[in-house]
Amino acid sequence: MTRVVRALGTHTLGLLELLGAMALLQLRITRALFPPRYDARETWRAFYKVGVKSYPIVIMTALFTGAIMVIQSGHFVAKSGATSFVGWAAGFAVLAEIGPILIGLMFSGRVGANNTAELGTMVVTEQVDALRALAIEPIHYLAVPRFLAMIVMLFLLTALGDLFALIGGAITADLMVDIPMKVFLRQVFDAQLLDEYLLGLLKGSFFGMAIAVVSCHYGLTVRGGATGVGRAVNAAVVAAAIAIFVADFFVGVVWTVLSK
Amino acid sequence: MSVSIRDAGQEQLIVATGLYKSFGGEPILLDVGVEVFRGRILGIIGPGGVGKSLLMKMLAGLVEPDAGDVTVLGQSLQSLNASGLARVRDRMGFLFQNYALFDFMDVGQNIAFPLEQMGVPKAEITRRVAERLAEVELPGIERLFPNELAGGLKKRVALARATIAGAPILLYDDPTAGLDPVTSSKIFELIRRLHRPDGATVIVGHDIDRMVAVCDEWLLLHEGAVLFRGTTEEGRASSHEVLKTFFMETGMLGAAA
Ligand SMILES: Nc1ncnc2c1ncn2[C@@H]1O[C@H](COP(=O)(O)OP(=O)(O)OP(=O)(O)O)[C@@H](O)[C@H]1O
Ligand SMILES: [Mg+2]
Repeated sequence: MTRVVRALGTHTLGLLELLGAMALLQLRITRALFPPRYDARETWRAFYKVGVKSYPIVIMTALFTGAIMVIQSGHFVAKSGATSFVGWAAGFAVLAEIGPILIGLMFSGRVGANNTAELGTMVVTEQVDALRALAIEPIHYLAVPRFLAMIVMLFLLTALGDLFALIGGAITADLMVDIPMKVFLRQVFDAQLLDEYLLGLLKGSFFGMAIAVVSCHYGLTVRGGATGVGRAVNAAVVAAAIAIFVADFFVGVVWTVLSK
Repeated sequence: MSVSIRDAGQEQLIVATGLYKSFGGEPILLDVGVEVFRGRILGIIGPGGVGKSLLMKMLAGLVEPDAGDVTVLGQSLQSLNASGLARVRDRMGFLFQNYALFDFMDVGQNIAFPLEQMGVPKAEITRRVAERLAEVELPGIERLFPNELAGGLKKRVALARATIAGAPILLYDDPTAGLDPVTSSKIFELIRRLHRPDGATVIVGHDIDRMVAVCDEWLLLHEGAVLFRGTTEEGRASSHEVLKTFFMETGMLGAAA
């Protein structure tokens, strides 16, 4: 019994410590943004890498997400005969919820994991120490550009991915639910889902922020050589997934309260 | 036992006192003190794993001691904030034992990096990088990447990066590991040439035969403590057993004979 309590206590403390460390990192990154103190070339490099790395998987994910949502709602619609709801149902779910989450998770697996591995390798090969020895603050030089790139890129990728999800939905509606593409897209359009679209984009930005802080934290605190890097990547992906769901919940709640 | 501290009138650029560091309960450095005087070249020697690299990183503020204090150019590193620390590091150049080259930059970009951060004009950077590469006997390899280089070459590129900004305090961790004798001699020659009379140089090394030609004073680490500190003559004159064995094996006494 005491052992269980003690284990619970240790884990809780560990979790609080982790959250504290990430909050501190977020604070240091934010402080480096005003006034801007980060390397322009490194920032450009981060934007380029983040964007190029992730757009193919985001588009793939989005196409199938749209398709799945249409198949699911199509099943229900076929029973009830409410064909005109397919576009609304699929569009609503994709834009406000499923799209941003799945795109965020894929982004985390690709870009976040890669970032942790890259920073972790820099730590164990003393490249981060080398930056410090050259009077460069690693937070400014490494974390801030990645932070900016991930927020902006996940925002843009969510915007783009949403469109591809609708295309995927339209194709599926045409082929499998017998709703012509044009009709489906008109339904989506008529449903006036601009609010949901914006909510999704807001979520995407917050997911980008969460993935950036989590992946930078795990990368910059790697210990123990190459195996340590592997462990950190693993932990970062799990933590980022949790962070995405937590952020999704809070953005959703705040949005609902504010839009009343 | 530590032998004499030098003339009290001389100016110290680096003073470290009471440095203690342990990892996972295992103490590595116990009460280590270092003084680096203006215009001097200090050689730090000792068996592998004794904590030489650790000590060097502490002198540059890259590793925090568990206890003790490091003062560089009159400023206690522990009391400085990030920007204060950065200003001190602007006055230092550091060669890492394991190169620590930026693997996402080519050789030219690596060496140019400190100058770029200082805002030196592009044309001048290109010229100085080429010059320094020639000085480390690696002319024209700007476009290669670190992972395409053998260890000895990486070491020399890292040395070029550490010294390109012309910092007055230069710290070299094992500058000639993995180099052939001829190149080693040239590197030590270069280290002596880059040493500024108004600055100071610290070399960690195993190649004591060659270091003798360069270093003014010595610090021998042994079992976590400073076993000897003094000039080359004092080292040769010392009758301490471990000191004798160490210098004998590494040929320093032989060079004296
Ligand atoms: N970050 C660290 N974590 C755990 N142990 C460390 C760390 N840094 C150094 N050590 C330990 O401290 C000891 C001293 O290491 P250090 O690299 O300073 O030795 P060294 O004198 O430079 O050896 P060499 O001559 O081989 O370069 C080693 O036992 C090493 O394992
Ligand atoms: Mg070493």
